[in-house]
Amino acid sequence: MSLNKALSPDGKLFTIEIKGKFDFNLVQSFRSAYADVGSSTPKVIIDLRETEYMDSSALGMLLNMKKSLGDSVSGIHITNCRPQIKKILQISRFDKKFDID
Amino acid sequence: MKILVVDDQELNRNLLRFMLEQEQHQVALAVDGEEALTVFDEFAPDLVLLDVVMPKMDGFEVAPLLKAKSAEVYLPIIFITALDDKSSLEKCLQVGGDDFLNKPFDKVILSAKIKAHARTRELSKKTYKQNRELAYYQLHTEREHELVEHIFDNALENRFLLPELIEFNLSPASMFNGDLFLMAPSCTGGVYVLMGDFTGHGLAAAMGALPASKIFYSMTQKGLSVGDIAAELNHTLYDLLPGNMFCAATILELNSSGRSFSAWLGGLPDGFLLSKDGKIKQKLTSRHMALGILDEYEFERDTVYVETDLNDKIILYTDGVIEAENNRGEFFGEERLLRKVSAPSFTELGSIVESVKRFTGKQDQQDDLSLALIKCLPSPIKPKLSDEYMSTPLNVSMALDAERLKSTDPVLDVVEMICAIKGCSDHRSNLFLLISETFNNALEHGVLGLESSLKDSDDGFCQYYELRAERLADLTDGEIKLDISYTPDTPKISFTIADSGSGFIKTDAHDDSNFHGRGLSLIKEIAESVNLNECGNKITVTYSLIHS
Repeated sequence: MSLNKALSPDGKLFTIEIKGKFDFNLVQSFRSAYADVGSSTPKVIIDLRETEYMDSSALGMLLNMKKSLGDSVSGIHITNCRPQIKKILQISRFDKKFDID
Repeated sequence: MKILVVDDQELNRNLLRFMLEQEQHQVALAVDGEEALTVFDEFAPDLVLLDVVMPKMDGFEVAPLLKAKSAEVYLPIIFITALDDKSSLEKCLQVGGDDFLNKPFDKVILSAKIKAHARTRELSKKTYKQNRELAYYQLHTEREHELVEHIFDNALENRFLLPELIEFNLSPASMFNGDLFLMAPSCTGGVYVLMGDFTGHGLAAAMGALPASKIFYSMTQKGLSVGDIAAELNHTLYDLLPGNMFCAATILELNSSGRSFSAWLGGLPDGFLLSKDGKIKQKLTSRHMALGILDEYEFERDTVYVETDLNDKIILYTDGVIEAENNRGEFFGEERLLRKVSAPSFTELGSIVESVKRFTGKQDQQDDLSLALIKCLPSPIKPKLSDEYMSTPLNVSMALDAERLKSTDPVLDVVEMICAIKGCSDHRSNLFLLISETFNNALEHGVLGLESSLKDSDDGFCQYYELRAERLADLTDGEIKLDISYTPDTPKISFTIADSGSGFIKTDAHDDSNFHGRGLSLIKEIAESVNLNECGNKITVTYSLIHS
């Protein structure tokens, strides 16, 4: 389980990658990760390529992030979901709130 | 030396034999042309002394026949003749003679001539031997090339093709390609591609393609990001390749939706993202050194992330395309390439290769040419799932007391354990979700007595988990029991979680703004059945392993 974040050199993309398990153990680090989003209203990319596990606490964290970031970002894109993870997001109707591909 | 003497005069034959044997030569005799042919086959002489006028078959007639018998190596034929008119001497040379010796014989001149022709014959023998060796090595090399070609074909053949999305054209300058184009499906339903160009061309350049393809296929199967795949390739090529050899490469992953891609760009010429109608939307400029140059600690794995519209096109190519040179020393160039790709008449990459070849004209192709065109469309790839299951039923029970609950988070352990059952591994994310939701519900509400309503605000959400940690640390009483069973007939996992608390706090799962209710609604969607006992401190979940 780990979390990496990176702002692209042009300040337009803020990427958060979550590896392994995305659950309540990441509450603090996830929250502090998006606190660093900067003032350039970047697009946030949540890269779940290596997220194998996810539960409803992760969904809560994503919703909190959306609420907290509001207009300080130009959008939140959840990308590279594995099929079962994508299904969890769809069941929870996250595709209405986030850009999921 | 072995010398054949052909003369119808016995006196001449004996005289010559005597003179030659004195000089340590081996001698055979023949009385006319016909006999000469027979003796030639048995004796295999190095030189022939040939009389002109003989009965049956004369010297002029037999000379070309003798020459023909020794087509591979120079056979000196010296005519012995009393004739001295110019036309006779000319005829001697015309029919294949190499020299004359006038009668009566002069011993010194005979010996000198034999020595001179022996030298030429030796030289000819040596050349013949070398030619044979050369032919042997050539054949040997050809066989080896065929073998290597077979290995390359098997290792580099793209077994996975996706013609609706990806078109590529590889045109090597020689039998072996120093360019490389590989594709593989990703576990998220997208597709990976790699275009590489090793230094130089031919067999030496192609060698690196073997380990590179092996790594690419195994890393894509693991679902690594393009940056991590690049790092792995770099590491291996750095160890393997000599210092002056490396591999310029672009590694790209197109998302399953076709609406974005990420790419690691190392040393290939600028690729382009083009709109449906051929306008340049973005240049994909190399940001890194080629693979195999930098040591592991210097290597940068950062990638570009690009959002695309459906039917956008990505074009990738190696420098052989734009650096193809015509006879005026001009390059084919990026502009010509882009004009071709964005022309309304453009249909397939083969036409670009044709234009490059027309452009360079009659000159030999200098470098390997490779092009790939990727269409940004939803990928039709469906992840492959196992359909083989363990045939033995299984039951596992565990009881976790307060001490155990404090020191371990058993959810992942339980999931890993279930995934060891054949057929379950593909379901690990779903199994995690089910067990995580139910176990944490039992722990947080049943054992620790936490109130879900606390999670309603952002701060409350964090407080909830802080409180969870505090209460767990202070826990003295409480227990959670977990019973898991696997049934093979219609493959299923069932589990019951019971806690020592007085009952779950049920929440309305259908209120979308209520985070904590989401857990139960997820379980209901993913599981085949969910049963809560009346007071809510025991839940039984059944999950079907048959893929819907």
